[in-house]
Amino acid sequence: MRWLGHAVGGGLVVLGLAGLVMETDPVGWALWFGVLLVAHDAVLMPAILLIGLVAGRLGPAPRAALIVAGAVTLATLPTVLALGRRADNPSILPLDYFRNLLLVLAAVGLTALVSRLAGRAGASRMAARPRSAVSRLRQRLTKRR
Amino acid sequence: MSRHLTRMGRSLSGRFTSPLRSERVAARLGTWLGISFTVAFATGLFSHFTQHPPAWLLWPSRPVNLYRVTQGLHVISGIATVPLLLAKLWTVYPKLWQWPPLRSAGHAVERLFVLLLVAGALFQLVTGLFNIAYLYPWPFGFLQAHYWTAYIVYGALVIHVVNEWAKVRRHLFTRVEEPGRRRFLYTVAAASGLVALVTAGEALTPLERLAVLAPRDPDAGPQGVPVNRSAAAAGVTEVLRDPAYRLVVTGAVRTELSLSYADLQRLPQHTVRLPIACVEGWSVECEWSGVRLRDLIGRAGGSQEAYLTVESLERSGYYRTSEVRPPHWNDPLTLLALTLNGRPLDPDHGYPARLIAPNRPGVMQTKWVARVRVS
Repeated sequence: MRWLGHAVGGGLVVLGLAGLVMETDPVGWALWFGVLLVAHDAVLMPAILLIGLVAGRLGPAPRAALIVAGAVTLATLPTVLALGRRADNPSILPLDYFRNLLLVLAAVGLTALVSRLAGRAGASRMAARPRSAVSRLRQRLTKRR
Repeated sequence: MSRHLTRMGRSLSGRFTSPLRSERVAARLGTWLGISFTVAFATGLFSHFTQHPPAWLLWPSRPVNLYRVTQGLHVISGIATVPLLLAKLWTVYPKLWQWPPLRSAGHAVERLFVLLLVAGALFQLVTGLFNIAYLYPWPFGFLQAHYWTAYIVYGALVIHVVNEWAKVRRHLFTRVEEPGRRRFLYTVAAASGLVALVTAGEALTPLERLAVLAPRDPDAGPQGVPVNRSAAAAGVTEVLRDPAYRLVVTGAVRTELSLSYADLQRLPQHTVRLPIACVEGWSVECEWSGVRLRDLIGRAGGSQEAYLTVESLERSGYYRTSEVRPPHWNDPLTLLALTLNGRPLDPDHGYPARLIAPNRPGVMQTKWVARVRVS
């Protein structure tokens, strides 16, 4: 069955390459294809790893907030930059995206803060909690033994 | 020297020490990505063959919202794939620096297909995100490049899945036990969910108020409806005001029709609720009224099996004309619309008359219609 999968996959790749050569500017395409790969492998990922080195020292909540905030920013960046606006058509990119992104990021940060405080409060409550009947009973039983 | 290099290479991939990078995490993220790329490939092919159907293919005109749902899914799930792809590539990044880089000819071929998969996935997401933001900084046509690259990505994905299937199967139905890894997966899922939440409203009207980072606001535009190609961009601002305007029905008909705007208004009017749904993902349902296309063709005496070509006042442009096949033009919902949400069409929405049909991409809902050719 492996050979079948390889044949189907290989066939699709060849079909795609043939279509690109016939219908697009193959040199321009290859340039973008390569530049995006290098930009990811040599720029974006090392940057993420560097941020991760610092963020690794933070607690789990701020780390999660950083991951979510970074992912949301990257996934919406072309919209937020709004370089595609056109004078003749105000219905394209009609919102104040920079402000909206800041609001979304603030909401992410707030969520992380609340969950961290809630986590801390939960931990201290655990420590201060009066022992339950069951645990008292268990303790008495162990003592007796 | 070579021994030094070897040690450097080994130690490099050995320096990635995060316990979050595990086979199980990679397998889980890979499964999610496999699903999202399959959805993207299927919905993308659907849109492509809707816009470029082979001569024998008659798409049905129902369900009314089929095109709208598939393209909303394509774009919103594409945006939501960004966090998944980044997390997956972060998880397997040390493998990029494995030493020796190529162990055998077979290993070299395997890595070549992984390269095609990674670069292709990045290419599809970046070009897709740029396209919905109306940015075209490249020398190739977006449509062709995004379409053909999809085959490369999906082909390389099939090969990758075949090669990694044993690992995926080992982890598919097992729980990720380690809490740190579980938290990482939840975080990535939350990031995907959040980007979907702040963009989906451009297609999913109930979530409209949350669509703060979507390239379109379904209420923003002339008559409260977005526009892709304005009358100014199409170069028709002058000609559409011409009092000599006539809608002509010609070709394989018994009697040719030539109708002024007032003539069109005097024909029986029908009102329908249909979405305008763009391939770029945004869509909104509107109320249209005008003349049924099948009434016009009936009046001219065209055959029920005829193929129609609807032509715009535009002089040039890729979408100046569109073909309407029998299932669509015989549908009573298909109109040559004169009004939108109760008012005459704005020039940007296709005044004097535009095509509006169910289950059809927005670019094929031809605006500024001046001629219907029957063949």
